[in-house]
Amino acid sequence: MAGINHYTILACILFGLGVIGFLTRRNTLILFMSVELMLNSINLLLVAFSATRADMGGQVMVLFIFAVAAAEVAVGLAILICLFKHVRSVDVNRFNLLKW
Amino acid sequence: MDYYFIIFAIMAVGAGIFTITAKDALPSALGLLTVFVALAALYLHLHAPLIAIFQISIYAGAILVLVVFVIMLLITPDEKLGTPQKNISYRTLGAILGAYLIVLLVIGIKGIEQLMVHRGLPDDFGHPSQIGTLFFKKYILHFEMASVLLLVALIAAIYLAKKKV
Repeated sequence: MAGINHYTILACILFGLGVIGFLTRRNTLILFMSVELMLNSINLLLVAFSATRADMGGQVMVLFIFAVAAAEVAVGLAILICLFKHVRSVDVNRFNLLKW
Repeated sequence: MDYYFIIFAIMAVGAGIFTITAKDALPSALGLLTVFVALAALYLHLHAPLIAIFQISIYAGAILVLVVFVIMLLITPDEKLGTPQKNISYRTLGAILGAYLIVLLVIGIKGIEQLMVHRGLPDDFGHPSQIGTLFFKKYILHFEMASVLLLVALIAAIYLAKKKV
């Protein structure tokens, strides 16, 4: 039976993958998906600890994270569409309007 | 050994690697979908059936569809997605995902109780009615704040995506 350690290691690996993807890719959509990957690893960690400690607050918190993630994706993708209208690209290196 | 955990953990990690290494955004989205399905299966293992269902319906059903829609909107003219793909990544990953979906359905039909490992938890742990009670008693303020947050996000998204900002 997989214990809390296994779930913690899996969540760490997924979070690390998300960080690597966020730092190495230049496609903005893939950056978004890396952020989703990190959020999901945290969800897994919360649910695993919720089951281990027999406290259902972790599951409630995961549902709040779902709401925040939905809001984040809606606003983020709208911003991305706006940026695309101006720059005609999804490459983050092209978004340098605020650089000095 | 816990084969259920191992199968879906390997599936999640492999699909995560595929997500961050895929060349285009669309195969990357397919990899992310696989991660979501694998995590939903692991949530079932952890006495969280409601979270598993919401994982499928909100993440795979709503958020990822939104991302795929935006990918479709943002295809630049130099990326020709209409040409037939040389690599077999779509087909292979789709086949793996379909096979896992069949496994998941068979397991679900055989009974969710057998899936949940006994961890010394109360019988109704993670039951939707328990979570609903928590939502409407202990976390009622947070619940209302989440709904306001979603409303603000909705208005902001409509305002940002308008023709003239």
